[in-house]
Amino acid sequence: MTRPGQPLYPRGVSRQSSPERSPTPGLLLGLVITLAAVVAYSAYITWQVAGLRKLQSELIDRNRKDSLQLLRIQNDLNLLAVAMRDMIDNDEPYPLTAWSAQFQRIRTDLDDAMRLEAGLAPAGRTTEQSASLSTSLAQFWDAVDRVFALAGSGREKDARAQIQLSLQARQAALSTTVARFLVQNSENEEQAAQRIIQIYDRVQRQVYVFLAATLGAILLTGFSMIRWNRRLFARMAELSERRSELAQKLIATQESTLRYISRELHDEFGQILTAMGAMLGRAGAHAPEGSSLRTDLHEVRQVAQDTLDRVRSLSQALHPVMLDEAGLESTLDWYIPTVERQTGITISYEKDGTPFAVDSGAAVQIYRVLQEALNNVARHSGAKQAWVRLHFLSSELELEVEDHGGGFNGQPVKQGIGLVAMRERSELMGGRIIFSIPSEGGTLLRLTAPREKIEVLDAETNPNDKKDHGIAGR
Amino acid sequence: MAGLACVSQSPLLQAFGAVGGTAASPGFRFVDVTSSVGIQFQHNSGAFGGKFLPETMGSGCAFLDYDRDGWQDILLVNGMDWPGHKQRRSTLRLYRNNGNGTFTDVTSRAGLDIEMYGMGVAVGDYDNDGFPDILITCVGQNRLFHNTGKGTFVDVTNSSGLGKRQAFSTSALWFDYDRDGLLDLFVCNYVKWSPEQDVFCSLDGKHKSYCTPEAYRGETCWLFHNRGNGTFEDVTASSGIFDSSSKSLGVAMLDDDQDGWLDLLVANDTQPNKLYRNQRNGTFKDAAVEVGLAFSTEGKARAGMGVDVGDFTNSGRSGVAITNFDNEMTGLYEFGGKTYEDIAAQAGVGMASKNSLGFGCVFFDANLDGWLDLAVANGHIDETVRNIRGNVGYAQPPLLFLNNGQGKFRDVATELGGGFEQPKVGRGLAYGDFDRDGDLDLLLTTNNGAAHLYRNDQLAGNLSIRFRLVGTKSNRDGIGATVRIVSGGLSQSRMVKSGSSYLSQSELPITFGLEKRDRVERVVVTWSSGRTEEFTNLAAGRCYECTEGKGIVPLDGF
Repeated sequence: MTRPGQPLYPRGVSRQSSPERSPTPGLLLGLVITLAAVVAYSAYITWQVAGLRKLQSELIDRNRKDSLQLLRIQNDLNLLAVAMRDMIDNDEPYPLTAWSAQFQRIRTDLDDAMRLEAGLAPAGRTTEQSASLSTSLAQFWDAVDRVFALAGSGREKDARAQIQLSLQARQAALSTTVARFLVQNSENEEQAAQRIIQIYDRVQRQVYVFLAATLGAILLTGFSMIRWNRRLFARMAELSERRSELAQKLIATQESTLRYISRELHDEFGQILTAMGAMLGRAGAHAPEGSSLRTDLHEVRQVAQDTLDRVRSLSQALHPVMLDEAGLESTLDWYIPTVERQTGITISYEKDGTPFAVDSGAAVQIYRVLQEALNNVARHSGAKQAWVRLHFLSSELELEVEDHGGGFNGQPVKQGIGLVAMRERSELMGGRIIFSIPSEGGTLLRLTAPREKIEVLDAETNPNDKKDHGIAGR
Repeated sequence: MAGLACVSQSPLLQAFGAVGGTAASPGFRFVDVTSSVGIQFQHNSGAFGGKFLPETMGSGCAFLDYDRDGWQDILLVNGMDWPGHKQRRSTLRLYRNNGNGTFTDVTSRAGLDIEMYGMGVAVGDYDNDGFPDILITCVGQNRLFHNTGKGTFVDVTNSSGLGKRQAFSTSALWFDYDRDGLLDLFVCNYVKWSPEQDVFCSLDGKHKSYCTPEAYRGETCWLFHNRGNGTFEDVTASSGIFDSSSKSLGVAMLDDDQDGWLDLLVANDTQPNKLYRNQRNGTFKDAAVEVGLAFSTEGKARAGMGVDVGDFTNSGRSGVAITNFDNEMTGLYEFGGKTYEDIAAQAGVGMASKNSLGFGCVFFDANLDGWLDLAVANGHIDETVRNIRGNVGYAQPPLLFLNNGQGKFRDVATELGGGFEQPKVGRGLAYGDFDRDGDLDLLLTTNNGAAHLYRNDQLAGNLSIRFRLVGTKSNRDGIGATVRIVSGGLSQSRMVKSGSSYLSQSELPITFGLEKRDRVERVVVTWSSGRTEEFTNLAAGRCYECTEGKGIVPLDGF
């Protein structure tokens, strides 16, 4: 029962929460920032990779291909050098002109290599350098032609002298030029490698920045989420607590009201009707024997007695006074046969364990749960038999109500008023209520309440209980 | 062998073989009959510890019918002890096929009991007298032996104009490059080497080992024009063959541009291979770079050893196989329209040959299924190679790749029996039907070791047809002639070849596998003279002698 001046809500729980701001805009903003960072970074990386590719294709690849052609030219020049050495050695049984086909093969390959090399020459090479190579080569072949012409005319000795004097020197000069180009290419490659390292360094730095920014965004979003979640859970817990408190207040108010009405009916109307009965009895005794007055008074007294019985029944139904006066155990002993009579259901009632006195406040909750459970059996299960078991355990009191009726028929338990009330009543005692399906089908309700919360430790009973005893006196 | 032939014809075995054939069984087996047929040969490399380069390179072998009795005889080239280290006498060996599954050593009787440091052999009837003559390439002076037709040979080296030439010659072949009906001679030379010019090479810095060819200067190949009077003219220089940078080990003939004039493919060791295209005017032009045969696909000049050419795709165009050093893979080139493409890796030859150092190689239809297979003789040059490269041994198993007709080759060496798969220091390799049962047997030589004759026993009951060509306007051996056949929707082509492989020469008659086809609908012979002849409806299971301009005659059996 709510006392005047007692706050409806416990301290610390705000009675009315102010409208909270939605986290969605903040989260969306975080998402947009993250996406923008990813897009910006991707664009940056693409730009850098494009630069790298350009550098590789335009400089390094081209340089490498050019070097390959230069190596090919160098190889051809070496072959010419070896051939010229063989020609000078003069240890073959063939005239010098025999080498012309060999020279021609080399020349064909050299011309092809020169053509390809010219198309691949790096930008750093000057026109003079390129022209110098092709001019020197042309002069070399011109000299070769003159040597073979000399040899062809039978002047092999002069031809060999020309090879030593002119061809070998020209070949050496050409080889030096090609070697210089190769060194130049190597230097270009080193420079390109440096530039590539710089690009990689830049990209690496940007990766770190991007990672930091992304981590920051993720952390901000995460913290924001955590904050909003905590608020949400606190709000939910508050609402749940408020609802539970409200339900418990309602139950308490209901019980208090019912107890009050029951007591009023029992005490006030019971005494009045009892007094009326007594007075009518006395009045009837004064009326002449066999008179109509005596008969009428007797009938009125009978009506008063019936009314008294009905008032007492109603009072008992609203709040069994026995709970206050005789305790839970006795009340159930009385109540279960009553239900059997009223509903026609056979109820097997068992008790075990060492009984202990149950606080009247808890007893009424247990009684109400049993009442609701048996009511459900009668109204919904279709069962003709039920079992009620009361276990006094060392640490808790357990009440089981079982039927083998229709049960929940596989349907999820609908949280009706009755079920909600039963759960709230169990929580009022610090206990719990569990619904399950027995192996035979139907429903098994198991209410458990901790002994420490429901047991009466003090032998002295509540002053209200004294008052209840008065009601119970019939 | 007759007995075996009968057994192989039994329906039960044929059925079994057919099933085996389709279930990826090779369809044939090898039996090492070297000893049982009477061949007792031991190659003498002359090795005494001096580690002279030629010691590890030889030697070759050949199938030839020197007495024209229709049975393939065997010639095995031999080295000799080096001067100053003479301990024993060793010569080449000529084994006459007795026609009953045995051979008789007729070396002395034939006048070939002559000591020389022999490397390779090329067989060809250069004077068109009907009897094959023999060129033995040597370290030093090569030798030309003229077949007298009376079971003997006469050394005509000097009188033929081939004398007074010292070189490290390797493979050689006879071919008629100018289409005058006379066989000309092409000789490969390796490097400029002589005992006096030997270079010290070492793997460990202390002990001498065999040098790689980079240590020596190259040597040009030689081309000798047959004058028709028993003498030869050196046309090396005038023909454009001269190339002092070459280090040649193998040579094969082909008609690369299909102009009817024979071209040459030369395998060079650590130098670009050469494809000498016949310019039809007595000169040649190297087109190896242009057609993609000079280098590996990576542009590297590999260590080319042996080479063979054959229409392994049955497309009418020849492909090429070139054996290389270990870790370089055997090159298998397919003609792709204008250039050759090395398909070794995708065809299944590449990885299987990666750890082998290949020498002799031959395209031949081992299982007579109508598709040219490829056999390779392997063996390293250095007996200590295992210490340096753990996965490469000195003795190496030969490889035999079966062609499935769909561009894939599968090595079946381990499935053939006869000890074929046993590691050997293989060098020369040649094929020939020595037992005249219609399939091709293999002759393999090893360095400083024995020779092996592997008899081919068909298990799948596949049929074959053989042709022996006799030229009249063309050279008498028909070398350079191409035979194309069509049978049951399958077209095949073969060329009568001298040379190919490594230091060796296979038999001149050509063999076509027909699988289960018992007839050949069409045969077209294109002679090296340019003449073309066509024959139809020939029964399988025998050999035919085709004489240029005179038709075709079936012989009694193969």
